[in-house]
Amino acid sequence: MTVHVRYFAVLRERAGRERESVEIEPMTARELVDRLIRERGLGLPSPLIRIAVGGAFVEDGSVLADGDEIVLLPPVAGG
Amino acid sequence: MRSFFFLRWPVADMFRLTSDPIVPTHRSDDQAGAFVTFKGRVRSRNGGRTVLRLEYEAYAEMALTEGNAMVGEAIERFGLVDAEIVHRIGLLEVGDTAVWVEVAAPHRREAFAAAEWLVDQLKWRVPIWKREIYAEGDSGWIGADAPPGGGKFEVEFGRRMTCLHEVGEAGARLLGEARVLIVGVGGLAVGALPALVGAGIGTIGLVDPDEVETSNLHRQTLFAAADVGRGKVERAAAFATRLRPGMRVETFPHALEATNADALIRAYDWIVDGTDSFAAKRLLNAVCRRHRKPLVTASVHRWEGQIMTVMPDGPCLACLFPQSPPEGCVGTCAEEGVYGGLVGLVGSLQATEVVKGILGMSILDREVLLVDLRTSDVTRLARTSRPDCEGCRGELPGSDDPLEVSRLEQAASRFGAYRVVDIREVGERPALAVPHLHIPMSRFDPPSGPMVLVCAHGVRSLVLAAELASLGIPAVSLRGGVSAHPELADAGPG
Ligand SMILES: [Zn+2]
Repeated sequence: MTVHVRYFAVLRERAGRERESVEIEPMTARELVDRLIRERGLGLPSPLIRIAVGGAFVEDGSVLADGDEIVLLPPVAGG
Repeated sequence: MRSFFFLRWPVADMFRLTSDPIVPTHRSDDQAGAFVTFKGRVRSRNGGRTVLRLEYEAYAEMALTEGNAMVGEAIERFGLVDAEIVHRIGLLEVGDTAVWVEVAAPHRREAFAAAEWLVDQLKWRVPIWKREIYAEGDSGWIGADAPPGGGKFEVEFGRRMTCLHEVGEAGARLLGEARVLIVGVGGLAVGALPALVGAGIGTIGLVDPDEVETSNLHRQTLFAAADVGRGKVERAAAFATRLRPGMRVETFPHALEATNADALIRAYDWIVDGTDSFAAKRLLNAVCRRHRKPLVTASVHRWEGQIMTVMPDGPCLACLFPQSPPEGCVGTCAEEGVYGGLVGLVGSLQATEVVKGILGMSILDREVLLVDLRTSDVTRLARTSRPDCEGCRGELPGSDDPLEVSRLEQAASRFGAYRVVDIREVGERPALAVPHLHIPMSRFDPPSGPMVLVCAHGVRSLVLAAELASLGIPAVSLRGGVSAHPELADAGPG
């Protein structure tokens, strides 16, 4: 199945892209993030990255479905 | 009539500004039978505070134009022979003469009336601001007095807000009574401050220890090039009272720290986060929850911003980001760069959250708003409370400061059994409302076993806890002291 991932802020810069579609086996939201950290060199510890699916933040164990719109959000400190 | 007097006394002469002690001209004219002199002096107390000194700042060109027009108007209106006003600017000590008004008229009645009229007009027409420097070391800018009788200026200033259906007279009153604290006077404050002043917020507090730097100016556009090297809170306060002289601005040129955060935040209704460090944001989040104050927090990164409002019973910042990022892994503006227009936009959104919250409109209390100015995308994501969130309870998540606890119960998990020791001096009590020993710090002799030290604000107790720890004695300080824990204060005699 395919999910659509959107990167924000420092994650976008490190991934070198703003959005991408990813082919996945059935997996949880956190498993996907861990995979993208490795494949895209996101350079942040996984627990710092928050995951939203379909416009709402989800728990780590939330199981992804075909066509999910996923947003990855790092903490940002600038002011 | 007026031009006649203008011929005799050049315009710039009737109203003068001086940074030296005032020397009145004492003009005399044989037509004048009555002279009234008013002398305004720096007094040592105002609004219950002890004032050490005053600083007056004028927008000089406008003050001279407006001041001279005003004196000319008085001459015409009351049929005066002559009038003169001299106003001090710069630093003044208690007892110094700040303003001198002298009126010459044919008879006493016009002279008294004109002198009073001139002093009233001076206070709300002429752009001169005063900063009171208090005995406690802080200071506050006091704008011109509100115009008499509700004031044309105030009415005209607020009219476009009051016209909005969602605001009205009742809403305008709520905004006027509100006290809003902006922590960090940087880029975000540049957007938030003008919007809050414009909305008619009655009192705004500003917290920032820094001075204006040249590298700030591209995004911190309420400062001018000439402000470089001057205190940010002072310059921002001058901006606000220039925009709306009748408002109150309170300035704190200090960093927000665990030791002063409780006292600062308790004194305001809404808190705006203008800081640029994750540690400061977490501290604000915890202390606002502790005192049930709404917090509008935001951050920016290059072209992107995040904003959310943390209400006393909703999900908090630590619910969304439970862990502190390691130093250096999340950039600040200084390290990463930021588009200047972004901070104004995000700060303005923060002010809008405050205004809408005060008016009871819908806010981002269960969402985070993401703005990306590169793509013009705006995204809203729903967020929920995390069970067992330390931030929600007013504690700093992940902090295991060996010298402090934010609640007495935390000492139980650290020590098992412990004693509460009140180290305040004898005159400072009433006694605590929980079982405790009273050993004043001035003659402290440590009891046996682990202890939690309690003082008024958590400063002395922290110092003492550090000293005892260095001797190997198990002691922690109750963060914020009695002032942060009203439940510990007992009304009974000590
Ligand atoms: Zn929380």
